[in-house]
This record gives sequence, C-alpha cells and structure tokens, in this order.
Amino acid sequence: MRLIAASDSLGSPLVVALLAVLALVELGLLAWALIDLAKRPAQRVAGGSRLLWLLLCLLVQLIGPALYLVVGRVDAAPAEAPLPRGPGGGHVARAAAALYDATSASAHPTKADALPEPSGNAEGSAPAVELVAVSKVFRTAAALDGLSLSVPEGSVFGFLGPNGAGKTTTLRILAGLACPTSGAARVLGHDVAGAGGDVRALVGFLPDVPAFYKWMTAPQYLRFAGSLFGLRGDVLEARVAALLDLAGLSGVGTRIGGFSRGMKQRLGVAQALVNAPRLLLLDEPTSALDPIGRREVLEMVAALRGRTTVFFSTHILADVERVCDSVAIIDHGRVAAHAPIDELRLRRGGMSRLAVDVDEPQRLAAALEGAAWLRSTEFAEDGGLRLATDDLEAAQRELPALVARLGLALRRLESDELSLEDVFIELVEGERR
Amino acid sequence: MRGFGAFLGKELRETVHTWRIWVLPAFILFAALSSPIITYLMPTLADRLGSMPQGFAISVPDPTALAAYVEYLHNLGELVMFALVIAYGGIVSSEVRSGTAALALAKPLSRGAFVLAKWLSQLLVIAVAAVVGTAVCVAVTAALLGLGPAPEAVAAVAVWFVYAIVILSVMILLSAVLPAPAAAAGAGIGVYAAFAILAQFEATSRITPAGLMPSAQAVLNGEPARWQAPVVTGIAVSAACLAAAVWRFSRREI
Repeated sequence: MRLIAASDSLGSPLVVALLAVLALVELGLLAWALIDLAKRPAQRVAGGSRLLWLLLCLLVQLIGPALYLVVGRVDAAPAEAPLPRGPGGGHVARAAAALYDATSASAHPTKADALPEPSGNAEGSAPAVELVAVSKVFRTAAALDGLSLSVPEGSVFGFLGPNGAGKTTTLRILAGLACPTSGAARVLGHDVAGAGGDVRALVGFLPDVPAFYKWMTAPQYLRFAGSLFGLRGDVLEARVAALLDLAGLSGVGTRIGGFSRGMKQRLGVAQALVNAPRLLLLDEPTSALDPIGRREVLEMVAALRGRTTVFFSTHILADVERVCDSVAIIDHGRVAAHAPIDELRLRRGGMSRLAVDVDEPQRLAAALEGAAWLRSTEFAEDGGLRLATDDLEAAQRELPALVARLGLALRRLESDELSLEDVFIELVEGERR
Repeated sequence: MRGFGAFLGKELRETVHTWRIWVLPAFILFAALSSPIITYLMPTLADRLGSMPQGFAISVPDPTALAAYVEYLHNLGELVMFALVIAYGGIVSSEVRSGTAALALAKPLSRGAFVLAKWLSQLLVIAVAAVVGTAVCVAVTAALLGLGPAPEAVAAVAVWFVYAIVILSVMILLSAVLPAPAAAAGAGIGVYAAFAILAQFEATSRITPAGLMPSAQAVLNGEPARWQAPVVTGIAVSAACLAAAVWRFSRREI
C-alpha cells in the first residue's frame, strides 16, 4: 500500500529524486548515443547505417510520451452532486429527470458550440427531427419511399410500423450510421450527414439489439461511452454512477458477456443517456424487458418529456398510447398517418363511437333514424348498439332524453373510442389494399 | 479525429483483456525462443536420426549465433506474418458485424479515428512484442551460442518492423473494404505472396516494400544493404493504405 501511495504521489521527496535521476539517466543516454552516432563513421556502425540507429533511438523515446499524451490524461473537473436515490416505483423516472436537471445546472459538456446556425430556422425553433422526402434503396428494394415528417423539440414521439416498414432504417439515418439515397434528414436543424460528430454529440441512440464489448463491465462501458463525448474525471464518474443506478446495475461486477438480454437493454438505455442528449433515439427499447423493466423504461421516457425529445420506435401500441404525445405510423417506407394520438383516433372518418345498451335495442334504433348527429348504427354481438357520430356532444345530450321518452331502461352509455391498435391495423391494411 | 484518444484507450484495454494479446506476442516469443534452441540442438538432432542409407549424408554446419538470428528473422518474416494476416482479417469488419461499431459510431467518434486507433494500437502491440522477443532471442542466443552479431540482429528486426507496418496497414484496408474476415485474410495472404514473388526480382526488390525482408537479411549478414528505398516506399504504401481505409470506411454503412 505504501508503494502504491508513493507511486501515486509525485510530491514525495523520494519519488521526485528517483524520477529526476531516471530522467537524467535517460536524457544522458540519449544524448550520449546521439553524439556518438553523429561522430562515428558509418562503417563502424552495425548494419552500416547511422540513420537507422538514429530512428530507433528517437522512436523508442517517443512511445512513452505518445502513450501518455493520447490515453494517459484526464481533465480534473468539479464533482456533480449525486443523483437522488430511492426504492420503489418512479425511481428510474426520478433518476432520469435528475440527470437532466444536474446537467443543466452545470456546464453542458456536449453542447455543440461548433455547430453553425440551424439551416432555414431561427435558433430554438427548428424541429428536433425533420425528414424531407427521404428515400433509401438497398439494391432494388426501397426501405424508405419519400418519407417526410417533423418532430417538435421536447416531445415524446412514437414511431410505429409493422416489421419491415422502415423504422430501423430511419433511426439509423438519424443516428448517422446510414445515408439516405435521396432527400434530407435534419436533427435539431442540422443536416445529419454534413454536421457529423457535432450533431451526434447532441444525440443518444439505442439500437434494437444493442451490442457491447463482452469483456467490459457495465461501469467500464459507460466510462468508455462518456469519454467518446469528451466527459472526463469526476463529471464522468458521477454520470456513470447515476446511470448505473438508473439501469439497476449498481454493484454488478460481471462482464457484459454474462448479462441477460434485459440487463443489456437497460445498459443500452443508460449509455444512450450518458451525454444527456437533446434528442434520444430509441429503437424498440422495451422489446426485451420484463413487465417491471418495461414499466420503468416507459416511466423514464415520460419523465424526460420537456427535458429532451424522445423519438421512440416500437410495435407495442400500448407503450405508445401510454407515453407518446404524437405518433407517426409508417408502412412500406411511407407515412400512413402523422398526428397527435387523440387526433389520430378521431381523424378516422372524423367519427366518435358510442356503445349503448338498452332493454329493447330495436326500438331505440328505429327511433334514432334521422337524427342529425347519427352517421351509422350497428347491432353488437352482445345485443347492444354501436353508434357512430360526428357530434359526440349532441349525441351524449340527446340520447338519454330519447331513451327516457321511449320508456326504455338504459343499462350502459359510454364512449367506445377507437384504440390506437384499431387505427394502426386499419391504416396498415388500408395501405396494403 | 474526434474520439481518437478514447477509442485508442479502449483498443489497448481490449488487447490486454481478450485473446488478441496472446496471438502475435506468442508467435514472436515462440520464434525468439525456438530459433536459438533449435539452431543449438540441430547437430544433436541430426546425430539422433541414426545411420543414413549408403550414399546419403546430412551435412549440418556448426551452430553459430548468426545462424540463430537468421532463423529468428526467417520466422518473423513467415510464421509471424501469417499470424498477423489471419489475426487481423476482421480487425475492422468484425466490429461492424457484431454491432459494437454502431453504438460507438453513433457517438461523436469519427470514422477516421475508429480506423486509425485500431491501426496504432496493434502497431504498439507488435512493437512491444518485437522489442521483448528480440531481447529474449539475443539473451538465449548469448547463453547458448555467444552474443554474436546482436547489434546487426536488432537493426534487421527494425527493418522487419517496417515490413510488419506495411502488412498491418494492408490488413486494415482489406478489413475496411471486405465485410468478411476470412475474405480479408485470404486477400492478405495474396498480398503477402505477391510481395514474396516481387522480392525475387532485383528491380522490384530494390525499390518496393517487397525488398524489406531481403534488406533485413542483408543487414543481419553485415552486407552493404540498400534498405532506404524499401523503407521509404513501405511507409508510403502504409500511409496510402490507411488513407484508403479511412476513405472507404467513412462511406460505409454501419
């Protein structure tokens, strides 16, 4: 222990003396060799070449300093306050929110000062994601076919589509891993291909199947990920500890090669947040998680609303309904629908639906004929009525009165809203027809 | 070159934590140990072969330190180079195939830094292994056969090191271009064979990197060597391979 302490402290007089002697010996040897080499005729040098020996002397001397300058330095930085910890539901969401709050309180290490002004927009008004007629062709197959959409900053955006619709291709383009065949892909107002690393510094990305270096542990991977964003020293260590806590991997010392798929997915979410990104791209983030892990990720995504933009690809419709503000449904590389979720539900034919259950449905159906707000009437398998209306308020006001006038017993009257699943299936099947 | 230092650190740690640390150093150390020992034992081994049929005779020269160094250099030029070509066939492409490159390159790590960090880390591995291996070879040779022309042996290994840089750079390029490690290794063996053929001709041996191994042998034998041109063209070819690898990888979809 004393040896380690001494080696870590350059201030110890003994260590300073030893290092000084070593440096003098090294410099003396180098000077001696170079002077002797300069004076000695080439015929009296092994191999007959003084230049070769000169190169050897200088190159060997370079290795240590070069290694130190490249990988040996870390910047000291003030420590950040640790994130709040706490058991039970909402812990992950609180940790994710605190990550952003702590980052905004200190200097943002990944702020893209080097980026030029966003193209065509005033600073701050540019959409977080903007795709303009993006096409991507692999040999002869078109993965994206003129895809256009815009995602406002600060929103939680659901990106829905069946398998093979082009979701992953879109995310890979936004992450800078692939280039569109035609069209423009902009992130925070900057062209993804043109701005390169400056844009990627603002983005966090979780692929559908995250692959890690199996020999690393979770803390090692997060340190590596953070260092790619220029995080160092105490700032990096505080961020790693917070993210390990968020991912439920604190104290896990095993290598990633021994992780379950769920652990890898949670580590994937953590590494995507290491730079506290302004845009978080998540490709099927809940697909490998158990119900508790899935709930925690959804809580985390919801907690990030307003702090960052989340672009969230999934085929689990319930997840989208739970956390997303707006949604795009794509199929065959094209946008089939793009709107806030509530609007999307209503937009299908502009209709709302009502489920009505009375003791004599035939009489009620006959009495409803000609009602101004009614668009269609169906008899359900359970014996009730399903009414479609373009004026929900009028229907809810007039129906109970009509039932009372007819002397019927009203057992049930409730809004039978379309689920996102209904919209999704109808839109996708409609596209295919 | 954004992210170069961080990725180089990861490459060096990976070298220590995975099988990569064992391959080239193991081959070089094997050559360093076996060359002087086999040279020293060769007369005894020849005697143990027993009587030869009438009319046949095996002539084994007396073992010398120079013969041990020649054997070591021969092993570096063939055994170690084959190991290098096979081991580095997937040095770039294997990360793309496994998906680890996607996570790293979605961060502000430039494609150039990705390629060059891999090159530099393996260059350091080869350099350290060559220094240690040569020290071991000289020590074992000195113990068994006397020190002999050790300075010339060190100079010859320095010329071989330039040859190793060339082959490493070629493998980086092939692995950046070809998605399959086996295909890159096969192409690398083809490049190695082409160098061996070009080394047989005076004109190409004098000015191209193919002349590096003949130059190293000449340096070891104390013959007047013309190593300058092969070294310069070797470094130029290495730089061209690296530039091409960065250019190609920057346009590759991950």
